[in-house]
Amino acid sequence: MQSLKVPRIVWVSLSPAQPTGPKAAAAAYEPIGSLSALLQGPRADVVVLDGSSELLTPALLQLRRHPDYGLSLIFFSGSADRLAEALADGPLPAESSAVIAAWRHWQERLGLFNRGRLPDRFDHSLLCWLWLRPAGLIQPVCDPSNSNFYHYPLVEALAGEGSINVNSWLQQKRQENLLEAGDLLDRLRHCTACDSNRLNYVDVCPECHGLDIVRQPSLHCFVCGHVAPQQDFLRGDGLICPNCLSHMRHIGSDYDRPLENYRCRSCNAFFEDAEVDVCCIECGQRQSPDELRVREIRPFRLSETGQLSCRQGLGEDSVASQYFRQLKLMAQPGFLAALDWQIAITRRYGKPRGTSVCSVLGMRFDNFKLVLNELGEPGTIAMLDSLMERLQQVIRETDRCMRGREDVLWILLPETPAAGLDILQERLLTGLESIESSGGQKLQLRIVGCGLPDQLEKNEDAPLLLARLMGELF
Amino acid sequence: MELALDSVLDLSGLIQQLQSENGAMRLFLLLFPFFILVELPLILVVLLGVLRWKLRELTLPPKHSLYRPRVSCVITCYSEGLDVQRTLLSLCEQTYPGEIELIPVVDGAAVNQRTLEAVRAFHLDPELYPRRRLRPIAKWKRGGRVSSLNAGLSMSSGRIIMALDGDTSFDNTMVSAVVRHFEDPNVPAVAGCLRVRNTWTSFATTIQAIEYLLSIQMAKIGLSEWNVVNNVSGAFGAFRRSILEQIGGWDTHSAEDLDLTLRIKSYFGRHRRMRIPFEPRAIGHTDAPSTILGLLQQRLRWDGDLLFLYARKHSGSISPELMGWPNFIMTVVGGLFVQVILPFIIVGYTAVSMIVLPWPTLVALAVLVYTLYFLVLLLQFLLMLLLVSERPGQDVRLLPVLPLFPLAMFLIRCWSAVAILNELLRRGHEESGMAPWWVLKSATRF
Repeated sequence: MQSLKVPRIVWVSLSPAQPTGPKAAAAAYEPIGSLSALLQGPRADVVVLDGSSELLTPALLQLRRHPDYGLSLIFFSGSADRLAEALADGPLPAESSAVIAAWRHWQERLGLFNRGRLPDRFDHSLLCWLWLRPAGLIQPVCDPSNSNFYHYPLVEALAGEGSINVNSWLQQKRQENLLEAGDLLDRLRHCTACDSNRLNYVDVCPECHGLDIVRQPSLHCFVCGHVAPQQDFLRGDGLICPNCLSHMRHIGSDYDRPLENYRCRSCNAFFEDAEVDVCCIECGQRQSPDELRVREIRPFRLSETGQLSCRQGLGEDSVASQYFRQLKLMAQPGFLAALDWQIAITRRYGKPRGTSVCSVLGMRFDNFKLVLNELGEPGTIAMLDSLMERLQQVIRETDRCMRGREDVLWILLPETPAAGLDILQERLLTGLESIESSGGQKLQLRIVGCGLPDQLEKNEDAPLLLARLMGELF
Repeated sequence: MELALDSVLDLSGLIQQLQSENGAMRLFLLLFPFFILVELPLILVVLLGVLRWKLRELTLPPKHSLYRPRVSCVITCYSEGLDVQRTLLSLCEQTYPGEIELIPVVDGAAVNQRTLEAVRAFHLDPELYPRRRLRPIAKWKRGGRVSSLNAGLSMSSGRIIMALDGDTSFDNTMVSAVVRHFEDPNVPAVAGCLRVRNTWTSFATTIQAIEYLLSIQMAKIGLSEWNVVNNVSGAFGAFRRSILEQIGGWDTHSAEDLDLTLRIKSYFGRHRRMRIPFEPRAIGHTDAPSTILGLLQQRLRWDGDLLFLYARKHSGSISPELMGWPNFIMTVVGGLFVQVILPFIIVGYTAVSMIVLPWPTLVALAVLVYTLYFLVLLLQFLLMLLLVSERPGQDVRLLPVLPLFPLAMFLIRCWSAVAILNELLRRGHEESGMAPWWVLKSATRF
C-alpha cells in the first residue's frame, strides 16, 4: 500500500528576490517561498532546493542538521559547489517520475533498516543515510580555512551540536568493518608532536642542519682539466684558469660547469645534495619528512558487513550480540587484566612441565555471515540457541569470556590443563556437529587453545598472547 | 703616360719597363693608381690606428669602475632553433656584475615553433645567475628584424640596449668590455667584434673567417682610433637608450644597422666630441653562410643595400656639416668609392684587359696584382696575429688558406658589382628577406 502513496515534493526557492519556481512538471512539485517556511510547515518527503551555490550550501547544512531532513532526499536545481554536492543527493532529475522512483526506493530501504527501527543515535543516522543511498559516499571536501584542510561535512552536519572527532569516528567505524574507504584522494603529512599540518620544508646542511646554504658552481677548464669553484677563476672582468693561466672566454668551447655543489655558510661543509628538514609552524618541532605522520584522505561508503548490519540490526541489537550476552562476558580491559594475572600466577607458581594450571581458548564462527545470509534470521537463531546451550554446558562458573573483534570469542579457563583443553575442544566440535541445520549449511567453528605456562612464549603478556592466537584463528 | 701604358701592354714592354731605371716603381705607379690613391691610405689609416690602440693597451693601467647600468640584450630570433639557447647561455655567463635583461624576440612565432620552444625551454637558474632576467617576447605575426628590435626596445628597461642576433654567442667578458665605453657620455653606441663560429665547416666559411678577422676585428680597431667606424653591426651592436629614443629606434628597410649608424653619425658634425668606439675585446661568434650560394645571396643583399643607403636613403645626410670631415671623407672614400664604385672599376679593368691584352701579358699582370695583394694581406694577417687576435693559436691555423683569400675576395668584389646593379636597376632592397613584403611595400620609398 505504501508504494501507492504519492510523496510530497517541495520546491524551495532560496532567493526570495528572484523566485524562479519549478519549470518542468510543475504539478509534481509544491512551491515554497523560503527555507524557514519549509521547516515550520509539515514535513516534506523530498526537497528540491533552488538558488545560487552561495545560498545552497548553508541551506543544505541547515536541513541535514534538522531532525526531519537529516536523512531525506534533497536535490538541487542549479549549480553546486563541492560542499553542497557532498551534502545533497545531486542535481534534480529531469523527470519528476525519477524523483518519485528514488523516493520509493528510499522509503523501502528505510523500512528495512535495523529491523524496522528508525535511527535514534548519531552513528546509526549516518549508517542509515548511507544505507538509504546504495551509491552513497561520505565525501571529504577540501577547505583551506579548515586546520585539517579536509573535512567531512555530512558527518559534521548529522552529528549536529554534539561535536565528535570526525576522523577518529570514521576510523573506528572502519575498524568495526562497518565502513570501507574509497579511492585515495590526497595524502597529508602531520607533525608528530602536535599533529598540525602547517609544515615548512626547508633544505638544510646535512652536517650541521644549518639553514644558510649556498649553491657553489664549479668550473672545468678545457685546456688543463682543472676543476675548482667559480670564484677561483675570476680575475678582474674575465675568467682565468688558476692552474694553466689560460683565458676562459666562452662556455662550451673553453670551459663548462661540471658540478654544482652546495656549501654551508655555518660549518663550511661541501655537499652534493641538501637534506630536507620539516619544521612545524605551530610547535616548532623539527623532523625529517620520513618521520611525519601520514594521513590519507578518502571517501567512505558502507561496507558489506555494514550493509548486513544495517539489514540485520546494529550493535547491541544484532543477532550475534544477543546470544553472546548469555555468556559470562567481560569487557576487554578486565579480561586482559585477568589473563595477565593468570599468566603471572602460572609463571610464578606453575607446576612442573605437562601440568598447566590455566588455559585460554579462542573460537571464531568461520561462516557466520554466510549462514545468516542463507538461512535467514530464524534458522540462524535456532542454530545459535543450540550452540549457546553447548557452550553454557562446557563453561564453568569460574570461566570468563570476552568478545574480541567481529565474531571471535575468548574463554579463560583457570585450573584447566592442556589435556582438559583438548577435551573441551572436542566436546565443542561434536556439539556443533549435532546441531540440526534445516538448509544444510552448518556453522563452522575455528578453535585455538593455549595451555599456560607451557605454550607461553617468552616475555609474552595478555595482549601479545591474544594477538598470536588471533593470527591462528584467521 | 699613354706611351708608357702602351709599352706595358705587351709582355716584352713589361719586362723592359722593369729593367729600366726606377722601372719597378714607375710600373707600380702606372698599374695600381687606385691601390695607391685609395686602398693604401685606407690600409695605412687602419694599421696606424691598430698600432696606436696597441700602444695604449700596453701602457694604460687597467681601469676599475663602479659604473654598472642595467643592460638589455634584445636578441632577434627567427629560425635559429636550438642555437638560441647557446646565445642565451653565453649571455647568462657574462662576468658583468650588473644586471642583464635578456629579451629574445621570436619573430613570426606562430610559424617558428622550434625557435619559440627553444626559448621557452631555456631555464634561467636564478640561483646560478642571480643578476640575469629572461623576458621573452613571442611576436606571433612576422614583421621583420626592425620590428623585433623596436619591440624589444619598447619592452626593455636597461640604460644600455644591445641588438644581437639569435645565432651569435658571446665571450663572457663581452658586456663588461662594452659597458666601459658608455661611462663616457659622448659615446652613443659601441660596435662589437664578430668572429666566424663555423670556421671549418666549408671553404666558404673559412674564407669568411679570414675576412671577418681582417675587415672587422682588425680594420675596425684602426678606424675606431680615428673615430671613423663605418658600421655598428646588426648582429652585435650596443646603444645608449637615450640616443635610440631620440632618433626613434630602428627604421624599416633592410640594412637597418648601417642606417642607424649613419643617423647617429649625423650628429657628429654638431657634437664634435661624440664618438662610436669599437671594442675588440667584446667578441661575438656568429654562423656565416656555409655554401657559396648562401654567401652570394648574403652579399647580394649587403652590397646592394650599401648603394641604397648611401645613394638613395642617406644621400642628403652624407655631408661634412652633418658628419664632420673625417667621417665624411671615410664614408665617401671607404664606403661609396671602395664599396660601390671600385667593384665596377675592377670588373671593367678585368674585362678590358681580357679583351685587349694577349694572354701571356694578362697572366703576368694577374700574377703581379695577386703578389701585391697577397703580400699586403700577409702583412695584415701577421700584424693581426701579433697585435690584435685574442686567440692567436686558433687563428694561425688559417694561414695555409691565406693564398686563396685574394682570389676569393676578387670574386666577391666582382659579385658586388652584380649586387649594386641589382639594386640600381631592380631596387633589390625591396625584396630583402629581412622583412615580409607587406612591410617593405608600405615603407617610405627612396
